[in-house]
Amino acid sequence: MARKSSSLLGLANGVSHQLFHPVPDSAPPYPAKRHTKISVVGAGNVGMAIAQTILTQHLVDELALVDRKADMLRGEMLDLQHAAAFLPHTRILSSTELDVTAGSDICIITAGVRQMPGETRLNLFQRNLALFKQIVPPVARHSPDALLLVVSNPVDVLAYIAWKLSGFPSNRVIGSGTNLDSSRLRFQLAQRLQVNAQDVQAYMVGEHGDGSIALWSSISVGGVPIGLGHLANGKKTAEAAEELEEIRKSVVDGAYEVIYLKGYTSWAIGYSVADLVRSLVRDLHRVHPVSLLAKGSYGIPEDREVFLSLPAKLGSSGVLGVANLELTEEEEKRLRSSADTLWEMQQQLDLKVKS
Amino acid sequence: MYRTNKLKRDADLEGFCWSAASPYPPFRLPSPIESIRSDLVPQTMQKVSSLSELGFADDVHRALFRPIHQAAPPSPTSRRTKISVIGAGNVGMAIAQTILTQDLTDELALVDAKPDKLRGEMLDLQHAAAFLPRTRILASTDYAVTADSDLCIITAGARQIPGETRIDLLQRNLTLFKEIVPPLARHSPSALLLVVSNPVDVLTYIAWKLSGFPPNRVIGSGTNLDSSRFRFLLADHLEVNAQDVQAYMVGEHGDSSVALWSSISVGGVPVLGQLASDDNKAAVVMEQGVLERIRKAVVDSAYEVIRLKGYTSWAIGYSVASLARSLLRDQHRIHPISLLAAGFYGIPSDRKVFLSLPAQLGRSGVLTVANVHLTDEEAARLRHSAATLWELQQKLDV
Repeated sequence: MARKSSSLLGLANGVSHQLFHPVPDSAPPYPAKRHTKISVVGAGNVGMAIAQTILTQHLVDELALVDRKADMLRGEMLDLQHAAAFLPHTRILSSTELDVTAGSDICIITAGVRQMPGETRLNLFQRNLALFKQIVPPVARHSPDALLLVVSNPVDVLAYIAWKLSGFPSNRVIGSGTNLDSSRLRFQLAQRLQVNAQDVQAYMVGEHGDGSIALWSSISVGGVPIGLGHLANGKKTAEAAEELEEIRKSVVDGAYEVIYLKGYTSWAIGYSVADLVRSLVRDLHRVHPVSLLAKGSYGIPEDREVFLSLPAKLGSSGVLGVANLELTEEEEKRLRSSADTLWEMQQQLDLKVKS
Repeated sequence: MYRTNKLKRDADLEGFCWSAASPYPPFRLPSPIESIRSDLVPQTMQKVSSLSELGFADDVHRALFRPIHQAAPPSPTSRRTKISVIGAGNVGMAIAQTILTQDLTDELALVDAKPDKLRGEMLDLQHAAAFLPRTRILASTDYAVTADSDLCIITAGARQIPGETRIDLLQRNLTLFKEIVPPLARHSPSALLLVVSNPVDVLTYIAWKLSGFPPNRVIGSGTNLDSSRFRFLLADHLEVNAQDVQAYMVGEHGDSSVALWSSISVGGVPVLGQLASDDNKAAVVMEQGVLERIRKAVVDSAYEVIRLKGYTSWAIGYSVASLARSLLRDQHRIHPISLLAAGFYGIPSDRKVFLSLPAQLGRSGVLTVANVHLTDEEAARLRHSAATLWELQQKLDV
């Protein structure tokens, strides 16, 4: 049990029992059975936005933060602790050592190296792989029953890497994937239709980023499917496809625009991951597009062990199942093509972990 | 190269789509910042005014939803809460985001002098639309975007240059507030003003003078957060929920704040005298050394966070959101905040200074000041702070 901050200041011990007394014949107190612990590895802008949103939404009893930069980490922890009077009774810990994550229900990994100017994609992956080799095995060891939620980019490959390095069953490792992209798409559609974004059902799937796929065939609003005819205003197929592609690109570019303007994104990914956490922790069985082991889904061959985003039911044991949507041939083709590309790239990575 | 000129008015107010007739060149990234595929440089991004330009049928929403017979046309909602946050830095954004998460407002306006950063922050919040209640989020460098706010929160402030005197810093902040407060007051003449920028007590006084508002409608975040830190330390030690610890720090926010030892209670039980290490309770009502150490720890904790991570944000975000809730939802809750302290605890009525005292807050701002017990020593410290601030304020040209 961590030393109380106040005992360092010379405050009397054992005062608590003078203020409160137990009811006669009580059993001694035991810790709450439903104790949710979440660890966030990486206390940068993304990690802290996630941590703070999780706290504000009362999703956690114990929150552990890990980062390499000790000073910044401690500052962030104190800043959250100082809000104690405004938050539910949450224990907030931090350490540069991963053992502080022990016993977590969910471990969220936001740590990642930044792409250097001119760096090849492969080189970036190798560096991230090296980082994950330091992070994932200890995290898995300290919380052998946890769910792993990878947010660092490129999320699909890193989720795959985390899965391999952890040794966890595939249902317990997911990437934040296209959950946020889908949110951006739903926001745009909702504005146009003057409805609440939560009533717009629209998925972006596949590879998070430039190669994501908008499932135009599966959009519905308040339960009413929107056909492609509505979407493209009666235009001919080729033109319609082009215009829909513009919408998709504007969703993908939304992230780049925010990064360009303010230097990074934080708030939206914070809410997005907190939303996933809620479904996982509360066993909500809600459907979210997240990056998961996609082989065997939608015609992706069994030997392609890649992670891609697909709409999946989430609960306390992670991925409960992948939704069986009706995809068009084109959409399935694109998914398989993404799988091929990722697979080829993953082959070039050296996943052996030193024991 | 991407450039931002003054945003067009309708683009500002809607906040999420650029005008198609914009004079800017198409958006092109200078370099792949976070691209997954460096071989696929993001293509030119066209800005469009609406999805109809992208092929989205104009009347598709009419095809999806139908009004009932003889319905009146939709009227603009008359009860919409609007909060404006001036300053989109770490503090302003933590406040904005916490207010959004806690669903405290229907409309949120952000103002800052830096248009790119401002737009980026606005977009980042808007992209979370699927996870948030339907809140309209606007941003502009023009104060017109704040019109008809219920609450205006000012976080903008000049940073102290190393070696700068306190009076010089204040003069710079005064100049800044002269640009901020009058337009804010003009656009929202009935609003509540909440000042967060430091030094908060003097700046709240300045905001009050510049706005022309009655004093109940101008407050500063004051010692609300210091009190939270104080309650955290006590709660941690006593193993209770911090929300059950009643403890106030009052007076001047910062080094000279006053901890009200005589008013601490936990779940209604006063804890005076129970916190000293010395077992001899009869003799040790308050052991000065220990109490002062705790008070300093509270004051220093802000500096510690700043030293460690560069600034504070989360705690002040929650603190201000808590004030916003009490004000806008007319909660009549008591918070220690910076208010016009003239006439209280022996402070002369003509000393128009702002200091933190526990006050009951509601929709019209400060409803009353709580009549907490102050020892002679504590009242003397308050009066001393008042005198210091008064002298300082005399030197300013408000």
